[in-house]
Amino acid sequence: MSIVVNLDIMLAKRKIKLKDLSVKVGVSTVNLSILKQGKAKAIRFSTLDAICSALDCQPGDILEYSGNGD
Amino acid sequence: MKNIKHIFTALLILLVYFLIASYIKPDNLVFIILVFLIAGFFIFNLMIRKSLSFEKYFTSKYNLLTSKFNRKKSFEISKGLMYEKVIEVINNSDFRIVDTDKEKFKLLAVSSVSFKSWGENLYIDFKSDGEVTIMNFCSTTLFQVYAWGKNERNYENLLNEIENSLII
Repeated sequence: MSIVVNLDIMLAKRKIKLKDLSVKVGVSTVNLSILKQGKAKAIRFSTLDAICSALDCQPGDILEYSGNGD
Repeated sequence: MKNIKHIFTALLILLVYFLIASYIKPDNLVFIILVFLIAGFFIFNLMIRKSLSFEKYFTSKYNLLTSKFNRKKSFEISKGLMYEKVIEVINNSDFRIVDTDKEKFKLLAVSSVSFKSWGENLYIDFKSDGEVTIMNFCSTTLFQVYAWGKNERNYENLLNEIENSLII
């Protein structure tokens, strides 16, 4: 897929563990792991909103278009 | 195998018909034994259904008194993560997880016995093929020769729930 999820980079920048983010945004660690690995089918705006709020970042910091198309 | 099952079912129905017609009196010994055998078999299945150790008994092709349904589905998610994901989905579904084996990546979920259904056992095992996880679903009835498509419907519903849960 051409969309790359940079959640792991943002977590490292903010020094937040996945488990802590899970508590903050109310999404299970399993779901965040799936999202982090780029294996999710889609992301809800509400989830994106909660993640951006918790990590104090923009949606573009988490999602990136790589243009590879594979 | 299905033909044998059909013949066996037809013979069983004929036998039950014959026995009921011949020995309708409830105080008849054969009638009582038959009732106890059927009840005993049902209770035995009820007792052992919640353990993964008896998977072979329920899923064996030689067990003609249970209906089996097998399907495979693969996802591009690691085995460990998929295992946790399916547990999460099942916990929010009509099924209930009763036994798990995290080392062998197997789990057993059951649907409850009700007036409409004798219950269903759903065995799921997870295998890795590179980055892909292949899930083998085997659904068996508890005490029912025919499932009348209920197993397929439950499987489809569960699969839809798994697919939908990947929208995060």
